[in-house]
Amino acid sequence: MRTLHDEKFSSPEAIRQGFQEQGFIASRQIATTAYLAYHLEKPLLVEGPAGVGKTELAKTTAAYLDLPLIRLQCYEGLDESKALYEWKYGKQLLYTQLLKDKLDSIINRENGFAESIDKLHRYDDIFFSRHFLEPRPLLKALQQEGGAVLLVDEIDKSDDEFEAFLLEILSDFQVSIPEIGTIHAVTKPIVFLTSNNTRELSEALKRRCLHLFIPFPEPALERNIIRIRVPGISEKLGRQLVAFIQSVRKLDIRKAPSVSETIDWARVLLILHGEELNPDLVRDTLNIFLKFEEDIAVVTERLHQLTTNAVRSAGD
Amino acid sequence: MDRILSDFIVSLRHAGVRISVSETLDALHSVRLVGYEDRESLRDALMAALPKSAPEKEIFNRCFDHFFSFDYFADAKSSPDAQQRPVSLAADVPLSRMLLNGDQSALVMAMREAARAANLTDIQFFTQRSLYALRILDRMGLPAMDGQIQAMQATGSPGAAQQAAALEKARTMLMDNVRRYVEQQLVLNTPTATENILSSYLRHAKLSMLEQQHFQDIHVIIQRMVKRLNDLHSRRRKTAKRGQLDFKKTLRKNITYQGFLFDPKWKKRKVERPDLVVICDISRSVMRTVRFLLMFLYGLNKAIVRIRTFIFCSNLIEITTIFDEYPVEVAVEKIRLGADLPILMGRTDYDQSFRDFKTNHLGSVTRKTTVLILGDARNNYAEAQTGILKSMYERSKRLIWLNPETPSFWGTGDSEMKKYAPFCSMIKECNTLHHLEGVVTSLVHRHH
Repeated sequence: MRTLHDEKFSSPEAIRQGFQEQGFIASRQIATTAYLAYHLEKPLLVEGPAGVGKTELAKTTAAYLDLPLIRLQCYEGLDESKALYEWKYGKQLLYTQLLKDKLDSIINRENGFAESIDKLHRYDDIFFSRHFLEPRPLLKALQQEGGAVLLVDEIDKSDDEFEAFLLEILSDFQVSIPEIGTIHAVTKPIVFLTSNNTRELSEALKRRCLHLFIPFPEPALERNIIRIRVPGISEKLGRQLVAFIQSVRKLDIRKAPSVSETIDWARVLLILHGEELNPDLVRDTLNIFLKFEEDIAVVTERLHQLTTNAVRSAGD
Repeated sequence: MDRILSDFIVSLRHAGVRISVSETLDALHSVRLVGYEDRESLRDALMAALPKSAPEKEIFNRCFDHFFSFDYFADAKSSPDAQQRPVSLAADVPLSRMLLNGDQSALVMAMREAARAANLTDIQFFTQRSLYALRILDRMGLPAMDGQIQAMQATGSPGAAQQAAALEKARTMLMDNVRRYVEQQLVLNTPTATENILSSYLRHAKLSMLEQQHFQDIHVIIQRMVKRLNDLHSRRRKTAKRGQLDFKKTLRKNITYQGFLFDPKWKKRKVERPDLVVICDISRSVMRTVRFLLMFLYGLNKAIVRIRTFIFCSNLIEITTIFDEYPVEVAVEKIRLGADLPILMGRTDYDQSFRDFKTNHLGSVTRKTTVLILGDARNNYAEAQTGILKSMYERSKRLIWLNPETPSFWGTGDSEMKKYAPFCSMIKECNTLHHLEGVVTSLVHRHH
């Protein structure tokens, strides 16, 4: 199955172009790392500030390869029954009720207690078989016939225990279910893990993954992203707003505007028919990319200077 | 080619990036996929496989630039006049031939090969530079070339003399390059060698003697120690949770299933968190140690210990809330400056401080509490108040006294250590990071 996709992943350049057709502008480093992750069949741990396209990378890969995207959102307290599998208790109970008569006849026909137990033992595994297994994202990803893209989102939000539990899946693409045994992947899924670095991940996890750090994009790359994602915007305005955002990121603020917020802002400016940046326009739309009162205050203070600088640098 | 990679990984490890065997294999496979041709692709590929955090990536970039710098012998081609000449004389010495032909890649390979044979990766100190450079030049065949130059000069024919001059020029260039290479290797190797020495020195140095400049390093060491403790303990906590079948709970839970026992419940052992009351003398003689002890304690996971902290000098106050509000570094700094705190920084007064503790906080000491007192017990000849210490000792689980002075000074002059000693479960000398680590480890480990 993998060989079918090999052509699409034949070189970093092919990936970069393929991603671009999907509307995701990848830097050379992102493309190379994705290329390696695919060919080494290794999970890819993606870190970076919020909103630089970590999750988007997984989505784009899925769309590009035309594979289902299976997503596991991590949170504190996430455990195996929600991530891997659960027994369908309801179904088990229902079946025992339905089969009650059947059970009675099996047991009644025998005389001795020991013999009844013996007989029952021959059936007991039925209730803990695949029919009663409710697959959760991780197991689902392993069972996909045609392969899948598995996205373990914000792994840093989960507990240490869950992280340790992931190790088996990440290194061998298999899971152990005590009642059934080990389940291997039908087709090895392509695994992405994302982290916002709210806590340090364990060495063991990092060792099993390739690692990609996506920083805020360079101006040229960000302009490219705006051009692709907001096609209607004029070249001039695009340059100006990217220059503005880039200089805002250098300020000492609580949350730097992310790429997705740059895109939002570009869309808003497009709707407002903005021709070029001016202090008034910026002041009215600041709240699109700044989400804290203090940050807005900091930027408003330097609004004139920032705007003129952005306009001037974009003009060159 | 793979040996180049493993050399690179060795120098990364030297620089402090931890790289496992499986990561080495990943790097190897990655390199097979992208090849050595394009420097930036190579960087991207190795960057994905080897360093796994932002600081490591920074180190990686530095090492990569040093290691894979291909600019050696870049000027090799700038002596082309020798090329047109018949090179019959030079041809029998490979090194001369390479130099005269300006074969850059062959020269680099020869140098790397010679460097490996000379064990250049073992280089530690800058005084070894010339030694290693000479060894490498030897192995590259410099003596043979020197002999050849002399022979050429001896023949006296103008062609030979010209070639000898060209070789002389090339020889200088060669020495320059080798020396530069050795220096870069030294840069790759040494920072950690010195860092390791520094780190072990800091661990055992008296805290009161340390210079301000080392504080940053100490913080790093403390963080590392604390992380190990946290890791150790969280693992132990998990095994403690494994239990036996809780039959009562199982029956109760499964009543809903008509008494079928579907959902077994297990007995859970409640993990005891050490309950810590820390009382610190913050007079100037002890402050340094206090600072690091608090950093250590508050670095520990909240799940592992619960801490109440008191400081005293002429009187005693509780400062637990400061640690709740601010990160450890800031909190410690606030305490050191003493701003906004109702503490009197006069003479150290154990008498008043112990009485303060008795009136306001004695209730915080219970059967589960470990009391940790850090102080030099120098009371300026005031009343020792051993009675209060005794009642603290009796109420608590353990009372540990940490004294930053060496034991031979205990009880001398105004030190009341000998009087306090009967009411302590343990008295420890505590004036290096090493001591601190021992104390904190024993605190956490006693509580199973």
